[in-house]
Amino acid sequence: MKNLKNLILLFGIAMFMASCTDLEENLTGDVTSDITIPSTGASAPEPVPTSGPLDAAYGQLRGAGTANHGSYYSLQELSSDEMLIGAKGGDWFDGGILIELHRHTYTPGHAFVNNAWTGTYGAINTVNELLAGGTLDADNEAQAKVLRAYLYMRLMDLYGNVKIITEPGQNSPQVSSSEVFDFCEAEILSALGVSEIASGLDVGGSALGADPTQFKVNRFGALGILAKLYLNAEVWKGAAMYDKAAIASQYIIDNGGYTLCDDASCSVQNLGKRAGVDSDPDNLTGYAAVFAPNNYDNPEHIFSVYYNEAAAGGMNFSQMNLHYSSQFTWNFDAQPWNGYSTVEDFYNSYEDGDARKTNNFIVGPQLDFSGSAVLDYASDDDDIQLNYTPAINELEPNHRREAGARPAKFSFKQFGRPDMDNDYPIIRLGQVHLIHAEAVARDAGDWNQALTDVNMLRMRAGVSPYTSIDADEFLAERGREMFQEGSRRTDLIRFGKFNDAWWEKPASMPFVNIFPIPQEQITAAGDLTQNPGY
Amino acid sequence: MKSVVLMTVFALITTVSFAQRTISGTVTDAENGDPLIGATVVVKGASQGTITDFDGKYSLDVPGEGAVLEFSYTGYSAKTMTVGADNTIDIALSAGTLLDEVVVVGYGSQSQKEITSAVTSVSAEEFNKGPISDPAQLLQGKVAGLQVYNRGGDPNGNTTIRLRGISTIGSNAAPLVVVDGIIGASLDNVDPNDIESMDILKDGSAAAIYGSRGSSGVILITTKKGSKNQKPTLSYNGQLGTATPVNGIDVMTADEFVAAGGTDLGSNTNWLDEVTRTGVTNVHSLALSGGSAGTSYRVSGNLRDVKGILKNSGFTQFNTRVNINTRAFNDKLKVDFNSSFTDKKQDFGFNEALRYAVLYNPTAPVMGADSPFPFASEQFGGFFESLGLFDSFNPVSIVEQNRRDGTRREFNFGANFGYNILDNLTANVRISRERKTFSGEEYYPVTSLFRGGATSPSRKGQANFYDEEANTQLFEAYGTYLADLGSSTSLTFTAGYSYQQNNFENKFFSLGDFPNDSLDWSNQISASQDLNNAGLIGAGSSSTPDEKIIAFFGRANATINNAIFLNASVRREGSTKLGANNRWGIFPAFGVGVDLNEYLNIDALDLFKVRLGYGVTGSLPTQNGLSQPLRSVVNAADGGVTTALIRGGNEDLKWEQKAETNLGVEVASDRFGATLDLYNRNIKDFILEVLVDASVEGFDRQFQNAGSLTTRGAELSLDYDVVEGDNFNYNTGIVLSTYSTTLDDFVDSLNVRGNLGAPGQNGTNMLLVKVGEEIGQIWGPVYAGPDAEGNPTFEDLNGDGTVIAAADKALDPDADFQVLGSGIPTLEFGWSNQLDFNGWSVNAFFRGAVGHSLVNTYRAFYEPIVATQSSYNFVNTELAEPGLTNARFSSLYVEKANYLKLDNLTIARSFPLKDVNAISNLNISLTGRNLLVLTNYTGTDPEPSLSDVGDAGNGSVPGAVDNPDPLVPGIDRRNNYFASRVITLGVSFDF
Repeated sequence: MKNLKNLILLFGIAMFMASCTDLEENLTGDVTSDITIPSTGASAPEPVPTSGPLDAAYGQLRGAGTANHGSYYSLQELSSDEMLIGAKGGDWFDGGILIELHRHTYTPGHAFVNNAWTGTYGAINTVNELLAGGTLDADNEAQAKVLRAYLYMRLMDLYGNVKIITEPGQNSPQVSSSEVFDFCEAEILSALGVSEIASGLDVGGSALGADPTQFKVNRFGALGILAKLYLNAEVWKGAAMYDKAAIASQYIIDNGGYTLCDDASCSVQNLGKRAGVDSDPDNLTGYAAVFAPNNYDNPEHIFSVYYNEAAAGGMNFSQMNLHYSSQFTWNFDAQPWNGYSTVEDFYNSYEDGDARKTNNFIVGPQLDFSGSAVLDYASDDDDIQLNYTPAINELEPNHRREAGARPAKFSFKQFGRPDMDNDYPIIRLGQVHLIHAEAVARDAGDWNQALTDVNMLRMRAGVSPYTSIDADEFLAERGREMFQEGSRRTDLIRFGKFNDAWWEKPASMPFVNIFPIPQEQITAAGDLTQNPGY
Repeated sequence: MKSVVLMTVFALITTVSFAQRTISGTVTDAENGDPLIGATVVVKGASQGTITDFDGKYSLDVPGEGAVLEFSYTGYSAKTMTVGADNTIDIALSAGTLLDEVVVVGYGSQSQKEITSAVTSVSAEEFNKGPISDPAQLLQGKVAGLQVYNRGGDPNGNTTIRLRGISTIGSNAAPLVVVDGIIGASLDNVDPNDIESMDILKDGSAAAIYGSRGSSGVILITTKKGSKNQKPTLSYNGQLGTATPVNGIDVMTADEFVAAGGTDLGSNTNWLDEVTRTGVTNVHSLALSGGSAGTSYRVSGNLRDVKGILKNSGFTQFNTRVNINTRAFNDKLKVDFNSSFTDKKQDFGFNEALRYAVLYNPTAPVMGADSPFPFASEQFGGFFESLGLFDSFNPVSIVEQNRRDGTRREFNFGANFGYNILDNLTANVRISRERKTFSGEEYYPVTSLFRGGATSPSRKGQANFYDEEANTQLFEAYGTYLADLGSSTSLTFTAGYSYQQNNFENKFFSLGDFPNDSLDWSNQISASQDLNNAGLIGAGSSSTPDEKIIAFFGRANATINNAIFLNASVRREGSTKLGANNRWGIFPAFGVGVDLNEYLNIDALDLFKVRLGYGVTGSLPTQNGLSQPLRSVVNAADGGVTTALIRGGNEDLKWEQKAETNLGVEVASDRFGATLDLYNRNIKDFILEVLVDASVEGFDRQFQNAGSLTTRGAELSLDYDVVEGDNFNYNTGIVLSTYSTTLDDFVDSLNVRGNLGAPGQNGTNMLLVKVGEEIGQIWGPVYAGPDAEGNPTFEDLNGDGTVIAAADKALDPDADFQVLGSGIPTLEFGWSNQLDFNGWSVNAFFRGAVGHSLVNTYRAFYEPIVATQSSYNFVNTELAEPGLTNARFSSLYVEKANYLKLDNLTIARSFPLKDVNAISNLNISLTGRNLLVLTNYTGTDPEPSLSDVGDAGNGSVPGAVDNPDPLVPGIDRRNNYFASRVITLGVSFDF
């Protein structure tokens, strides 16, 4: 090659403006740092809690599974002897996890066990972030700490041995139930401004308010949570503290200014009334009013979770409990799921005439808005009218579609949406009376000491007072009063009945009294130890 | 794109040699007169030689008169010429038979022989025939290792395209599409009739020049263009097709249903017949092309009207494309301009109608008036509805009453400016813009039970509105330098810069509660009562940040003695989608190829090439913002706003990357060609949402780089001209591919995925995901027959005396579970046959796959005679277990889905019509698609399901439609369209 012997090149030197190598990602459609805007005073569809810096924290109680399917509520109710979800042929088997809850054969892979864990810790993190922000005033800081203690109390109740995380992102080793108990106690006492609960208690120096704002923790709400903690101290801490539970609950009864909502004093419009059904009352009174859709100013509520069909969703009982066709009784926006029903023996523990039986359950042939029969074209019995029978043929595989009294304590309103309006009490005066009754009785070793409080509740329900009572009867009465309030599992454990055999459930081993630590969390964390037995 | 300054400095040094005589000229293609770039010119028996420049020109010193010059060009027949008196020798070379392909690679093209990576070119003649709207389906079965599946063939459905199996978990699994050099172009904006050829870059060494988006493969599309000096030609191509359902789901007839204990509602309805129809497809394409000496053009318009077999599903699409190629300044400047516009009006229809047609009571009447009991059907627009059932809707009412449609518009243009700075140095600048919009509407009238709330006294009727806009800008600049290193050895360098920016915005709103059935209230939403009711109007909007991809790249190709080929490339690329600490990545590649026949000189062979390539490519996540923390807004009812953390940030989030080694052997003779590719690919650092300690972080998920997998595979393509005659030709070809993928590392070492779903089988995960094992193992208990109560019993697989078969015990060491099948085929193949005789041609294309199984979910839910489901129809295949009255997932519902399809049979007759003035090149064809399916699978379509969209119950939409799970292959869900058989008459001619 003679001509072009060689070619040497210098390659392109390119000079670029800075913008042409700029890869900063400025997200326009997502929120990456906190925004807090105080109330604008905008009008709301019904009286609502005034907002404040703790909105997100209180809102997390709704998200943490308090009154919806698949998390905290489902674990508490379905593992107890009051509710179940049966497999209805092809419907609601779901890999057996619902049957497992009823029969106490749950495993670390159970989805609800994981959901309750992540939901509760998510709520705790929101509180931790607020506390870490350092901008809360004394009242709000005290509220945040009590709320966090309450969330840890739930975790202790469910899982026993958990991590106590108090700062966002700061790990801390898993501790025993006893230590979680101590943490909860100390946090609440500090918020109340006292060093211990003893006779002569005075929480006048608490940073917490005393005004009856049921959607925030005031000093009586904090005392109620503390009373519940002490009531279960024997289980959670391994040491009985019934005297303290009695003092705390007595203080609320004496000083809180709350009243038991009875028929004479307490009445709200019946929002579920059907135009064509004369027997539907115009108003809900007494016990029914405590849980009604319009219960937002009920005098019995001490600390409640605020729910609203539009602005504060998360209570789905109408969907969870009712048969598909019950849509026509209440003109629901959406078709229910036909899931939860009541264990027959539990339903039968109510005597006829008990106002709580009438309020807490839907049974019998169903009528629609205009008074005509609600039909179930897919009925699996001979009668095409939808008819809820308290008797349930079997748990699985073919629980009849119409079988089972349906939980309806938080009553439904006409034209209801999938999310309900009823506010859900965490602490209410009726419950405080039960804590007081039990604490006094156990402390004295005499169940008849419980009679005064228990009979107040029985009289409100329109049933005759007891003249004497024992532990079993007390537990049954507590169950009747507290049905559907997420309390039964804890109560059965405290009374040593959780492992008993009941309908379609053999006796279970004591290790199931706390749930397994979710397997997913053990894998993700690396430093969590599984609870014994799993 | 902000301003950019590109300065390129070149220096050129030449040494002038002592010459006796200089011969110069141009080497061109004999067929179209285009210059051949890089053709070799040597003096026979001497050492002198050169190669042609970008204009096909050469200049060579020769010893003197009588010297013999040899002109050769890969893929062309060589020619020799004796030097005479003239100092100018122009020569035109003719393409050879087998090796004439010029293959488009990134930022340039190479002859087939020079390629050192696994690249497959498919030209228009080889495309699948018939009225195909989706360009990817033109390739179905044609390219070894390329999987193209649209299960059921939904005309508006998404085609799953996979190259060499699973290429990513968590990132964008769709291949990168490059249309006429425009990276990331939309496949939807290309009409199949406008495509000249497609090149598929299969391995890492080929795709690495595209960097972060090359891992899922690259499809390069070249559209048709006009030729220089071509008189204007108007071409017409028309197709008329009819489609009929080919394979439904076997269900009970009304009589069988009643005999099985079903609720008798007195009628006899074949619901599948009620919701399907004969689909009709019309395609008309018109193209005008031509050119002068400097400019060529092609303008085309395509109209497609497709009516699917499901009533009220289909689309009407208009597409136009303009290509103009021109030269100026003594041919130094080349400008290629192309633009296309697509307007597609889509009726999505409701696949749910097919699902409910399967499970709806066959004794139920279509209309309420035929109900056996008093039924207030006005509420439902006259239709019957079985009320009080979960997941049950009158399918005819679904298709007749509801509307789900939209208009998609895509517009793009691209201009490429190429300038020959020197004979062997060009600079290119490419600018393109693409704009895609979609506007969709759904309307469910007040009388529709399905999503319309007909039973809700408070809130009937629902209207949903969707509005999307995507914009892409691309700027690229690169230079190519051709170095001549003497005796038939050449070196090509390419280097450049690429800037791409994507923006996407969407808006959505939904509202309902309309007055009555007198109007389609989606056009009068001011009547919605939701406007008076807080919280019922659904609304959402999002906007992506400026999503940028910026790259610098370079490549060198060397050809030594026309026998040894070397390629090396590197791309440094950055993306906004990654963590601040790891935005930039480097993607190198290297390849070497040797034509052994240049040394072995086996007479029977034209080519015996062995090549080895290695390359690293990346994958980007589909979403933006994964490296940043995410918070949700909590609105208080009285106007306060706070937020809660729902996902953590990760500043270290980096590229997912794939390293691939490919060994290929190519053998070609006059009539026979074979290509074998063996590859090993390792993919690591998937971008996945990983569980973190919820107790500490407060959120339980964060995006991290986690996991790796290895895929090994082999691909074989064979092509043989069985008969080559004057009047009769028969060519046959086969492509085979096989691969297996092992999960080496993952966030969970052991997991089950793929929930069966409602009714009643939630928490039933059917796919095993286990580190160290293959992907796609269907996992479950083995069915052992019904017990006395009709419940299924299962095998005691471990022989421990207890059967543990509960779904949530799937991973229990004592559980009686085993692998029930693989969701991924072991072998996929395509077999094409082309016969030509006397103007007739017959094209038969078979396609199949073996070794994969499918979970037939229709059977898993509806085949057992469950008492509480007596108001739904029962699926009734030959595999039905008569005594079974309880539905539980097991091996009973996992079916082998081996199949062989006669995918395409075309008989065509062409008439040159040379002596007719009006028209010429008349071609008439008859095509049948999906004519024959040989399979034992009882579902509607045995094709593999490569990923999973999840389950949908009670009228809802599956959760993962936009982000299907690639670790869950093998589930045949209930939301698929049903397969159809299409017969098409086609006519084409030129004016």
